[in-house]
Amino acid sequence: MLYQTTQEHEAFRQKMREFAESEVKPAAFQMDQNNEFPTEAVKKLGEMGLMGIPYPKEYGGAGMDVLSYAIAVEELSRVDGGTGVILSAHVSLGSWPIFAFGTEEQKQKYLVPLAKGEKIGAFGLTEPNAGSDAGGTETTAVLKGDYYLLNGGKIFITNAPKADTYVVFAVTTPDIGTRGISAFIVEKGWEGFEFGDHYDKMGIRSSSTAELIFNDVKVPKENLLGKEGQGFKIAMATLDGGRIGIASQALGIAQGAFEHALEYSKERVQFGKPICQQQIVSFKLADMATKLRCARFLIYSAAELKEHHEPYGMEAAMAKQYASDISLEVTNDALQIFGGSGYLKGMEVERAYRDAKITTIYEGTNEIQRVVIASHLIGKMPREAGGPAKIMKKPAPVTGYRKKMILKDGSAKERVAALVAALVKDGYDFSVGIPEDTPIPLAERVVSAGKGIGSKENMKLIEELAKQAGAAIGSSRPVAETLKYVPLNRYVGMSGQKFTGNLYIACGISGAVQHLKGIRDASTIVAINKNANAPIFKNCDYGIVGDVMEILPLLSEALDNGEAKKPAPPMVKMKRPLPPKPEAIGKTYVCGGCGYEYDPAVGDRDADIAPGTLFEKLPADWVCPECAEGKDMFM
Amino acid sequence: MYCVRNVTEDLYWVGANDHRLTLFENIHPIPRGVSYNAYLLLDEKTVLFDTVDWSACRQLLENMDYLLQGKPLDYLVINHMEPDHGASIEEILLRYPGVKIISTPKAFMLMRQFGFDIDNYEQIEVNEGDTQSFGRHTVTFVNAPMVHWPEAMVTFDVTNGVLFSADAFGSFGALDGKLFNDEVDFERDWIDDARRYYTNIVGKYGAPVQALLKKASGLDIKMICPLHGPVWRSNVAYFIEKYDRWSRYEPEEEGVMIAYASMYGNTEAAAQALAARLCEKGMTNVAVYDVSNTHVSQLISEAFRLSHIVLASVTYNLGIYPVMHNFLSDMKALNLQKRTFALIENGSWACKSGDLMQKFIEEEMKNMTVLNERLSLASTLHPDKAVELDTLADGIIESMKPQS
Repeated sequence: MLYQTTQEHEAFRQKMREFAESEVKPAAFQMDQNNEFPTEAVKKLGEMGLMGIPYPKEYGGAGMDVLSYAIAVEELSRVDGGTGVILSAHVSLGSWPIFAFGTEEQKQKYLVPLAKGEKIGAFGLTEPNAGSDAGGTETTAVLKGDYYLLNGGKIFITNAPKADTYVVFAVTTPDIGTRGISAFIVEKGWEGFEFGDHYDKMGIRSSSTAELIFNDVKVPKENLLGKEGQGFKIAMATLDGGRIGIASQALGIAQGAFEHALEYSKERVQFGKPICQQQIVSFKLADMATKLRCARFLIYSAAELKEHHEPYGMEAAMAKQYASDISLEVTNDALQIFGGSGYLKGMEVERAYRDAKITTIYEGTNEIQRVVIASHLIGKMPREAGGPAKIMKKPAPVTGYRKKMILKDGSAKERVAALVAALVKDGYDFSVGIPEDTPIPLAERVVSAGKGIGSKENMKLIEELAKQAGAAIGSSRPVAETLKYVPLNRYVGMSGQKFTGNLYIACGISGAVQHLKGIRDASTIVAINKNANAPIFKNCDYGIVGDVMEILPLLSEALDNGEAKKPAPPMVKMKRPLPPKPEAIGKTYVCGGCGYEYDPAVGDRDADIAPGTLFEKLPADWVCPECAEGKDMFM
Repeated sequence: MYCVRNVTEDLYWVGANDHRLTLFENIHPIPRGVSYNAYLLLDEKTVLFDTVDWSACRQLLENMDYLLQGKPLDYLVINHMEPDHGASIEEILLRYPGVKIISTPKAFMLMRQFGFDIDNYEQIEVNEGDTQSFGRHTVTFVNAPMVHWPEAMVTFDVTNGVLFSADAFGSFGALDGKLFNDEVDFERDWIDDARRYYTNIVGKYGAPVQALLKKASGLDIKMICPLHGPVWRSNVAYFIEKYDRWSRYEPEEEGVMIAYASMYGNTEAAAQALAARLCEKGMTNVAVYDVSNTHVSQLISEAFRLSHIVLASVTYNLGIYPVMHNFLSDMKALNLQKRTFALIENGSWACKSGDLMQKFIEEEMKNMTVLNERLSLASTLHPDKAVELDTLADGIIESMKPQS
């Protein structure tokens, strides 16, 4: 055993490196600056047969091994971390589940064009309330005869919206946790399948990342991947393999940064000699190289295990965790060796430093990697151990208890009229108003624009509505940060301004968690959005599903009393409705021997009685945990 | 000198009054004292129902000497083993060597645990529904677990309808000569102490009290002889109704208790301002307490009485003011439920008390409602908060209306 790659592998590495140096590297800085997807390079990768490296030739792949795939991701990442993850997400996440769990028809229809590079693939698992804990998945797929109706949304999806084929996870059987999740193949362009925000990321900016929105998307029954209920299993198996890709990406980013630093340290002269001859720099380089070699062996070993169908889940997690951890260290040291020069935009080490960070986060955070590794060592930990003593409650809306009155009936005009009537009934006086530039934290009313507002000229609709509603103008983060329609100090959210006034009208805002946290204390939230599944509707008091272009002018008109608004009196905070009382799971019983109260919501952990167990369902030999009286002594 | 009262025919009160004790159970102040009630039945057999606190033992012995006139004591019925009633058991045994003890199995266990030498005496263990005849009188025993101790029982005389109710239906306050509820002005002089007694001593055990009331509803009760306070021989339904309400945690009255914790008078001023607003708006059933100067047993009693509770607290060490926190902990310990809370918080640099009180009420207590209209003070109630004060008062009054 030589622990060496073969000549073929090194020849392939050479080929990949040449491609990366000539096709990716020249544009890397520009793509980073402008958030640009390397469309041309990806197309060429496909033409070279490199988008399906580990898949058999009969399915359009290159018929090479997993190690070759790892080398390909590594080499692309060596010059650009973003391009590296495009390949990784396409091969490991978008294509592999179809290769491993698809029917022959599904493979012919979807895997072949993916492996040939004619189509791009992506994977949709993460949701606002389901990340590492897939049991929190809220996207649903309901069987309606010969198709499933898909509703919900996914966030942080790599390759969206560029990808054509998406493997999406949704709940087909509610309330049974991960066993109720199924996987589906969904095509871009299907009715009701739309994309939300393109994220403005810290690093890997050449890779595209977006939100998926499903509104009554009809997914043909034959696009169910595997069986119903197998989704979680498919997702976990996919992520095991995906980790080899991300580990390779982390390795490549670090390798690139290391090479730049080594070169620079030989050129940079201080105190009469190249800094690499300063012991402290030479030791740093020695440590960096050692870490890279460790990471590389972990990754290649996991790739070989996978290739030979040996168990590799723990090894892939170790490789991902270690390679990404050291990728942060190595890129940090590389930038340090560059000193101030490395801190400038346009420097590869600066980009590598930012690109590296994501690798400890996605494909399972490194904390989760440790959970995975530990579970292989120790076995599955009992679910309730150390967990909450009380039964898991459904996550409450971020903005707290809301009326959630969604106006559906009648024409747009009638719905707007119903909204205005409800607001007036709540006590809003639209003959008064505040200046539109009132600071958000002091504003009694805010009309806020989200990305759904579209082009900049539509901000006129927002301005007019703000005027007629007597409100200040606010926005979601992308509208201020990316689109720059309003100054940065006017975006509302956890990281921006908090709105604590009375009326908040969200126009074209989907309702990212960070935004919702900024309007928690609003007395009344009104949502106007064309996506009925947007989270904002679960967090609003009144909602109108409709296009802002149609609704806003109608609403402005309805609020217009034909006169200029009078200055508003000092704000009186409006009352919010009280949340309904939670229903008790079952009756509590009091022990006649000591007064201990058995609460079914809590159970009795010491006696292995799970939360949710009714008193009547307790075993006959169960005794009071405090005084050991039997069940018959309870009243 | 003996001090006895005839209860009915051949039944006598042989207990004692105590004005020396300052803290009942070494925790609850009793400015009006307390009585330890024991009862002697002079049937063909002689029967003592419970004894008294050790401090009152001599009075009990004198009373028994006087009534027995040299006759032996045949039976000692122990309904409740708590030492304010059970402490004199051993002395009775020594004085009346032939006495047979009647009690529940758990009470016998407790007698041994407390160190009483009972094993040379005949012990009659009784269970739910057992009967015992003393001649003309026959009694039946009814278990009353966790009212408010596990061994407790009540004894019902089926001959004359007297219920020996143990600690149930008792009250703080010395009798001082009076014995019966119709010899005192209960509504004027006793109800507050009776409530304070129940809510602090038995308050936690609503379900066991409900279970006992259910059993009691099947008995033809003519008279209730509790272990503290007046004997009930008229208007029994009035007091049973109170017990029923308290043990269901239903308020007695629609009204507002305002409990404030104030260091320098700023929070106090807000509490007073709120009280005035409430009264101005017509809600005059308002009771204001400074938690630092009011014993928590009284706060608890008022919390059981009224439907609405306003807690006004400063922030102290980034937490709830300790005395207010103690009040909250006591409400939780005593299982208070079904109240509507409103909150006033104060903090001069980091106001935390409101959030913390709300979290405590919502997470630690049961069936509580916290109104949204919270009044937040930065050091003191500034005039610009007048509207919020009004909103708070309106919110409280509105929440008293039946919800649609």
